[in-house]
Amino acid sequence: MKTLIQSIVLGTLLSGTAAVAQTTSYLNYIRQFQMPADVTWDASDTVDPNGSKLSALAINPGGARFELWTIRSSSTTGLTSFPLESCYVGTYIPIANIVIRSEDATSEILRTRADRPFYVDITLTGLRNGASDPEPSKSVKFFRHVQSYGVAGTGVGIDRSQATLLTQSSIMTNGTQTLTYALNSIPGGNRSKIRGEERFSVFSLEDYQAGESQLASQFIQVWPVADGTISGISNNQMIKFNLPSLTLALNDLYPNSTTYAQVYKGNPVLGTTGTIVPGSAIVINDSIPQNRVLSLTKFDGVFTSDGRWTMELVTLTPFGTDRLHYISFDLDRTINMNTTVTTIE
Amino acid sequence: MKLTLLISLSGIFTAATMRAEMRDAATHEQLELIYREASQSDPTRKFTPSKGPDPSTAHPLKDLISESDIVCFNGIATLVPKRAILQIPKNMADRLKYIAGAKLMGWGDFYALNRGWITTVEVSRVQAEGNFPIAEDTRKQMSKSANLIVATFQAGPISVLPLKVPAEKTAATAKTTTADPVTQSPKL
Repeated sequence: MKTLIQSIVLGTLLSGTAAVAQTTSYLNYIRQFQMPADVTWDASDTVDPNGSKLSALAINPGGARFELWTIRSSSTTGLTSFPLESCYVGTYIPIANIVIRSEDATSEILRTRADRPFYVDITLTGLRNGASDPEPSKSVKFFRHVQSYGVAGTGVGIDRSQATLLTQSSIMTNGTQTLTYALNSIPGGNRSKIRGEERFSVFSLEDYQAGESQLASQFIQVWPVADGTISGISNNQMIKFNLPSLTLALNDLYPNSTTYAQVYKGNPVLGTTGTIVPGSAIVINDSIPQNRVLSLTKFDGVFTSDGRWTMELVTLTPFGTDRLHYISFDLDRTINMNTTVTTIE
Repeated sequence: MKLTLLISLSGIFTAATMRAEMRDAATHEQLELIYREASQSDPTRKFTPSKGPDPSTAHPLKDLISESDIVCFNGIATLVPKRAILQIPKNMADRLKYIAGAKLMGWGDFYALNRGWITTVEVSRVQAEGNFPIAEDTRKQMSKSANLIVATFQAGPISVLPLKVPAEKTAATAKTTTADPVTQSPKL
């Protein structure tokens, strides 16, 4: 028997229970699966949130697989499991590590938006190249899978075995290689409304004691670009006296976003800082995109003078600031009285 | 799950001043162009293309929840590997299902709050693999216990496979062993 040093490096994902909202919480689990014995050990309580540690459970010659999961418990949807990372460890099997980077580092589950790039760092160590070395020690396979959640899908309860294999390739060199993806490749008719996930995995080659086994795997969720409309005032409308009630319809607000309506004098100019319309601000801190409808009334106070005005819907996300919609209109609240004074002797 | 708050005015103005570079939200047409260009330059082209079946569908990761038993009581719940629960008293069978709204917690925290009705049996690796029997004394204590019994290794729940070796052979081996194998792992 041989004990292998298993470095379990856990980032911020292993932070125990992290409350996301009042009724939703996440809990992380680490399981060690002995191969081929099929014994499963829950090592969650034996490791610290960060650092490296020797696994207390000795690994058989057949190797062992370590899996890191997070379980979301929600009062509405119950328990949902998400595989965060998986790693097979064997006597001469290379060690692989995959890190996906996005511009949004605020989430327990890595995510990005349908219009944003992301990066995949693959690090391999322990690959051999000797003529007598076994084949599984000399090469690994790299896979890219994509899977759509469907219209309005959230990914809860999806069957990941239905993911589409996009590419597969062999890697035979040690070191870190970065792959840059300008955009996701999740299938969908409207590329701004993609909902789904991309998964990147490294597998070992088949060995006499184990089949092709996952050495590392990471996935990233992709959420749609938000959209919104302002209704109640039409573009270029002349408004006299009181402003009408407005309705703001906001769709697919990013899970970590602040959205509001702002007004400023003049025609629309992208990047202008205006005055926030009272009652129009929405803060989303969730794990899935949200839709909202707001009704605004009695907001005349933000218009300090008559003339041409522009109202914009703006959303702030980890990716920057996006304008979702805008209208311009003319405001005339001045009452002109035409009078005549006549005298008769 | 949903958290919607109206932010304060000061927060709003702070947010507004953060708009260093505002842009119009990306449209399908714009993204379609980027997507087509990106499709022509797959970053994995620097690797050697390979063929073969998809191992993730041939041997997919089994869902953690379906591979676990849920222990739930008094508004809290935890997951343990299947086969880690060695004994389930009849009057506790209803505690092995998740009750909506129960707070999920790690095994250590859950056990600390439920020691009154849960007993753990520390096993060695070879015992978990079914290659060595659990000590006779321990098995007798288990049979008399009215508690839910969970197998642990280094305090973490562990699945225990059915004993593989014939009982007569292990009985003979047990006689030569002075230490209790439940608390001390045999030499490998």
